Amino acid sequence: MSYELKDKETLNSELRTPNSLLKLSNLRRFVMFSVLIFFLLQFFRVKALVGGLSGSLARWFVKLIDVFAYFESLAASKDFTTTTLIAVVPIIGIYLIFGRAFCGWVCPMDFLFEIVDGFKNWSKVKVKASPKIGYGIAAGLLVVSGLLGIPFFTNYISHLTNFFRFITGGVFLALNLPFEPSVLVYSGGVIVFLLVFEYIFPRTWCRVLCPVGKTYGLFNKVSLLKLKYYPGECGECNLCDRLCYMNVKIARHIDQPGLRDINCIYCGRCAEGCETKGKLVKLSLK
Amino acid sequence: MQNHFTRRDFLKASLITGSAAVIGSPFYLLERNAYAAKEEFEGPLPNIEVGGIIRPPGALPEKEFRAKCISCGVCVNVCHTMKYDAIAVAGIKDIRNFGTPYIKDMRDFPCELCMECPKHCPTDALKNLKKEKVTMGMALIDFGLCFGWNGDVCLSCSKACPMGANIFDFYNGEWGNQPYINENCVGCGLCVKYCPLGGSAIKVITERQYEKVKTPYVDEFKRLLAMSNEERYNIVYGQNLPQIMAKGRLVEREYR
Repeated sequence: MSYELKDKETLNSELRTPNSLLKLSNLRRFVMFSVLIFFLLQFFRVKALVGGLSGSLARWFVKLIDVFAYFESLAASKDFTTTTLIAVVPIIGIYLIFGRAFCGWVCPMDFLFEIVDGFKNWSKVKVKASPKIGYGIAAGLLVVSGLLGIPFFTNYISHLTNFFRFITGGVFLALNLPFEPSVLVYSGGVIVFLLVFEYIFPRTWCRVLCPVGKTYGLFNKVSLLKLKYYPGECGECNLCDRLCYMNVKIARHIDQPGLRDINCIYCGRCAEGCETKGKLVKLSLK
Repeated sequence: MQNHFTRRDFLKASLITGSAAVIGSPFYLLERNAYAAKEEFEGPLPNIEVGGIIRPPGALPEKEFRAKCISCGVCVNVCHTMKYDAIAVAGIKDIRNFGTPYIKDMRDFPCELCMECPKHCPTDALKNLKKEKVTMGMALIDFGLCFGWNGDVCLSCSKACPMGANIFDFYNGEWGNQPYINENCVGCGLCVKYCPLGGSAIKVITERQYEKVKTPYVDEFKRLLAMSNEERYNIVYGQNLPQIMAKGRLVEREYR
């Protein structure tokens, strides 16, 4: 049994027809927007989730800090404190369960990048750079942080910091509260730069460069959540590979029980796109 | 040709209006802020620099603080949630401190020492202290502008101070109640806001800068106290009162 290759239009229209009650692509956007809305509530002085995705305060007593930001802060200050450790433990716990799901389910850039992708038939353009380069970059950034004594990536480059800094700056500007215009310009500039970069080199930031994603990628090796293959006949249509924007090679591992790729963000597009309607590939917590 | 306003036209029109609003609004807002800045008075003690940036309460020494702060914005937004809005994010001008929290202008938004930001800092860059032990900076009174040093009795700063009697010394005399802020000052800046002089007569500088300007400042203070009546008369009526009259008394204490 074999399937014909389909063009992008048919692919998209088929993706739009629900094949189960709870579509993963809708569910993960729901999760992302819920997290974002909880963060936006802080500007209405609601103490739900205060701060940004690189460091935050949940329910006014749970401190949370991003794993890579934790390592950078540790490298820069060379000082170990229990407060920071307590802040990073819940995050490590979450991603020991869900692996790199942060990138597909929480990171707001994923949504912005998807919009940019819509302007371009990006599936034809694939930058051939090994995702392993990212670990070199992450290690380099840690060394730079240690030398400068500044958490370098998290302060200046991080899409997460700049995204929330931009929103904070915009709200403070609108409410006429103290803020620096240069913060707004710089952070907005970084986000725009990343969007333009996305347009030219689709998903290169996520696949190759982003050290935050790379850190969560390590969790993929041990996480409970993984891609699992179920017995069944594969038509070798390669739809899963074509739909995967993180360039995970799903089809070629079909004879294995499961797949733990450092680049898999558990967006579920492979499972949804599969001609067998998600019977072969599934996200599984077991 | 029918001259209907089609859905396409409507979409086009709304797209144009929408993008004009999106592009235009930052300009409008920046313009409004610039207007507010122009309205501000020149601050007190113009020849003494602030000397760096003033951190939120409980900050570690500058180098350690910089190494730990990941500029996540928790303190900024905690302050906003507490309705004080004192903490701003530092701009690109000082590239090393870009993105870190600081108290921008104490005339508008002083720190109220609620100590919520150090309690909630996830990186321990801000340490939770008792508010008496905070060292954000040091408040200096401009003797040339202060009402209390120029023939008046004014207690606004000492009334606003959360530490009260520990910090304010009064040298009551013929030339006013003459308040002086001693070195127990934590630098929260509440006195700066509640000074009734237009543009405030008090300035908060960093501890490091205070060490530098301490000698001339204390000398000036002692010189004024030891001065003869006639000399003092010339200074108060010749130099100070015209300046004070120009700045005026603020009834509504909002600078923005």
